[in-house]
Amino acid sequence: MTNILPKVAGLQINGVIYSYTTVKKTEDNMLVHVQNKNALGPGYIFRSTDDWSKLPSNTIQRAVPVGNIFAENWGEGSIEIEGEGSVTNAFVAYSYQYDPCFDPQSSPVCPGYKIPVEFTVDVVNVTDPLDDELVRKEFERKSSQDDEDEREKARARASATAAERRQSRLEAALSAVNTALMTADATAAANDFFATAALPDNYQIQIPGGEYKETIRLSDAKLPDNPRGARNTWAQQLLHEQMVDLQYANLNPQE
Amino acid sequence: MFKKSLAIGFFMALSMFTRASAVEVPIVGNVAAKCVIVPDTAGVYGNPTPDKLSTATADGGVQPVVRFDVLQANYFKAVISTPTAFSVSPALTDVVNWTGSVSTSKVSVAGMSAYDTNKVVYNNTSEFNLTIAGTTWFKASSTAEYGSDKALPSGTYRAVINAECIAL
Repeated sequence: MTNILPKVAGLQINGVIYSYTTVKKTEDNMLVHVQNKNALGPGYIFRSTDDWSKLPSNTIQRAVPVGNIFAENWGEGSIEIEGEGSVTNAFVAYSYQYDPCFDPQSSPVCPGYKIPVEFTVDVVNVTDPLDDELVRKEFERKSSQDDEDEREKARARASATAAERRQSRLEAALSAVNTALMTADATAAANDFFATAALPDNYQIQIPGGEYKETIRLSDAKLPDNPRGARNTWAQQLLHEQMVDLQYANLNPQE
Repeated sequence: MFKKSLAIGFFMALSMFTRASAVEVPIVGNVAAKCVIVPDTAGVYGNPTPDKLSTATADGGVQPVVRFDVLQANYFKAVISTPTAFSVSPALTDVVNWTGSVSTSKVSVAGMSAYDTNKVVYNNTSEFNLTIAGTTWFKASSTAEYGSDKALPSGTYRAVINAECIAL
């Protein structure tokens, strides 16, 4: 129907005019349905049935009024035949009307028309500070200064690293000297300490190497269970189970 | 106070009974036509042969159509007569043989298609009982043959279909 009716808001169909000629034998039964599907639901929005049963062929022309039904309700139209026979020279026309002021804003003459409010937006001239010559020069100067600072820092880091490397090498050399000096001092101190005989004699005895096998043997063939320990274990198990059950009791207090 | 009121009421009642009057109240009724006849298509005679005039399409003619609008079923009948004489024609010196018929051309209700089956034909007249409210188009055919294969004189020929809606 969208390609038949004009695309106007609020268009309503108030009648269907159709005409067709039947081709049939008089003794045959025949029903002719002129119909339009309901575009917004099941079934038909319009259905007119002509009963040609036991009637001779003829041409019918009918104008069927319908309550003003909005165009969007009208779906695909068709002529359906039940029984024996056919239809020729079919013609279907739709009588419609529409309110040109269905949308009040469609025309200034429509009642309820509201004059559109025009919003004027002040254009704010935004000046990009980067466009300013002085600012740009200042930025460039700052940038060059930063670069210079960065280079200075890099040079300082490089010189510091070199100094650190030199110092490290010096410390390593001094450390080797200190170690040798400390080892000689420690040896002298150890000799003095042992000379005082404050330590037992076996402190300096050499223990021979090799395998040392087990020499202790248990005389009892069977070790009995400790019933006291069993009770203790059982009591701990009960306590553990009570603690586990406590968390479920909190989840389901009815049980 | 009470006695005075009674006296006034008595005189008012007396004056009403003593004044005789008559009033005529009109009743107006309008009867709208429940059967309307409208000429739909004017007929045209074709002249397939020199001695023949015919409204048949095959003969180059046009069949006249008359429309009957009936608002109430079973109250009227359509009586349609095909012509038996020219209303306008050149001077004719011989006999004209007339034939004609009437049938439904279009219907507004499928059941009207039975009018053709139930029509009554006598002489040049066809009667249709309008048993269904609605509109029926009747088409007529008319043929005039002049003499015995005699050429019709040249000129304009007119004939009239007579359609009546008669109350039953």
